Amino acid sequence: MILLGRRVQVEQRMAVPKSAVVIVPVVSVVFALVVGGVFLALTGHPPIRTYLDLLDNGYTSFYGITDTLGLATPLICTGLAAAFAFRMNLYSIGQEGQMYLGMIGGTWVGIVLADSLPPLIAVPSVLVFGAIAGAAWIAVPAFLRARLGTSEIVSTLLLNYVALNLVNYFIFGSTGFFRDPTTSFPQGRAVAESARLSPMAFFTDKVTNAYPTLFVAILLAVFLFWFMRVSNYGYETAVYADSPNTARYAGMNSAWLQSSVLLVSGALAGVGGAMYVVGPAGKVDPGLLQVGLGYAGIVVAALARYNFLAVVLAAVLFAGLRTGGNALQVSNDPVPIAIAVVLQGAVLLFALGGELFRRNKVTLVRVQRATT
Amino acid sequence: MNSNIWLLTFADAISIATTLILASLGAIITERSGVINLGVEGMLLMGAVTGFIVADGTGNLWLALFAAVVVGVVLSAIHAALTVGLRANQIVSGLAMVIFGTGLSQFIGKPIEGDPLPVIIRPLELGWLSDLPFVGPVVFGHDVFTYLTWVAAGGASFYMHRTRPGLLLRATGDAPATVDAQGGSVAHIRWVHTMVGGALMTLAGAWYMFARAAAWNQAATTNGIGWIALALVVFASWRPLRAIGGAVLFGFSLQVPFTLQAQQISVLPPTIVAMFPYLITLAVLVLLSTPRARRLLGAPKMLGQPFVRDER
Repeated sequence: MILLGRRVQVEQRMAVPKSAVVIVPVVSVVFALVVGGVFLALTGHPPIRTYLDLLDNGYTSFYGITDTLGLATPLICTGLAAAFAFRMNLYSIGQEGQMYLGMIGGTWVGIVLADSLPPLIAVPSVLVFGAIAGAAWIAVPAFLRARLGTSEIVSTLLLNYVALNLVNYFIFGSTGFFRDPTTSFPQGRAVAESARLSPMAFFTDKVTNAYPTLFVAILLAVFLFWFMRVSNYGYETAVYADSPNTARYAGMNSAWLQSSVLLVSGALAGVGGAMYVVGPAGKVDPGLLQVGLGYAGIVVAALARYNFLAVVLAAVLFAGLRTGGNALQVSNDPVPIAIAVVLQGAVLLFALGGELFRRNKVTLVRVQRATT
Repeated sequence: MNSNIWLLTFADAISIATTLILASLGAIITERSGVINLGVEGMLLMGAVTGFIVADGTGNLWLALFAAVVVGVVLSAIHAALTVGLRANQIVSGLAMVIFGTGLSQFIGKPIEGDPLPVIIRPLELGWLSDLPFVGPVVFGHDVFTYLTWVAAGGASFYMHRTRPGLLLRATGDAPATVDAQGGSVAHIRWVHTMVGGALMTLAGAWYMFARAAAWNQAATTNGIGWIALALVVFASWRPLRAIGGAVLFGFSLQVPFTLQAQQISVLPPTIVAMFPYLITLAVLVLLSTPRARRLLGAPKMLGQPFVRDER
């Protein structure tokens, strides 16, 4: 490609420079804001003011940031789930379904066991059972992947729809265990009070939408970051991701690596679903299904380049776009909330495009006149 | 009465199948070249909203469909640029397309939300053929695009399995290095087929808008049909003609929950019936994964793998 007498030269880099790790995401966000700004301007909304409102409603105001942190909590979990699988080149997109199952599994424990347990045990057991249910939901795709080499992309995707219908069945389609028996209104049966956490007040007397599960999510991220760095298991998955053949020749068990990574990924997404049970929902709640946090988790993971610590930041960024967008919709100059979704998609697209600059050195070279 | 409603269910299933066939044809053509585009749902929505807005402004159905096709080509070109050009992860790029397409369609569709359709695609009047018992409503009760879609599936099948460019397409999905060594351009083939596939996806969305939807209803307009189309690709084992049969089956199971509800039949709860297409597809996927079936009719072998000449 030749521009203004200069040729764009692309050279492969031997090592990724440290600066690119920061610059690419930041530039992606800026470019996405520009694209969003164009659409805003075209539809008659002043872009700068809209963005300042978004910033205020999503991040800098008290309720803005607490709402954002509340939404980010399960999103960190689905983001970690996606990052854990994707860094092994296992493209599970079933976080959505595993999250629903986590909600179902956690609720089950919350109803059956929690009454007889103190909160200190009841809350963790809800989270653990959410993890087990999430892992169980990915067990079949994991087995198929490890044994038959069946694409986990499609099998995990298909199970999302089964999970969605399962939740709808429990709440709308039947009057079974998970349905609230005290009313004919279709809603979930609430878990025991001992299995619930109260929202964080952040040293005020206000009621927020953020729950202490946020710290569980952050701890999970820190633990994964540390564990995958120092453990033998982390090393083996890294080798396998780079070169499955090398791993096989070195005697690593590829079926075990693949299935265990997928199971852990499912468990992480399941914890995210269970966090709704101990936190805001307290029951199986189909209203949650509209949120799409499973798919958003993949986006968060990709934006974080599958780095567990960066997942936390990316999740907060994304959650803020959504809460900010919600607030814009009801402001006196209503901007469709979809602008937040446009921004999310655009950020990711630019981040993907930024790969070129991460992996390659791109320079403009003056075109030399041919001399004879 | 009872048999009548089942007849209508069946006719409806075939009608819905048109969107499924078109969208999965697009996905099949894309995936056969080795590129997976998970963005179908976003593409359908963009096709639907573009079609609506253009038809609203011009009153011309053909212009609306053309605009939808253009949008499909542009969006899938972004996907191709990222995945073929920059070798970005195809899964992530596809999901970005879903999010971007869903967001953008809702954003630009906000002003037309709930408006009546500017044009409607109506079934053809085929005279005595339409009056035949059973066959009339089921086979001859559709609009021209339904029939064109069947023809298109046949054409795609012929192209893939009986022509030289089709052979190159399949080779690109299975063994890009071979195509490259032979002097073919892997990137060129992938670009073209990703864009053609994208055009079919947005066309599917526009058709759905004018023939099946009552109004633009944000993301609920297509209600997950794009994801079903992706499942259908696997169900059809990447073969266009099988997509027709699969689409009718899927369309039927999409309609049956409503019919069961209307008839107050409670053999199985509708939510359980709604799981069937996915469970059946999963079973098909497992069968396709057995070593024998994989050799005979498996997925394109290099699906999702970027091709880099100097790395092979």
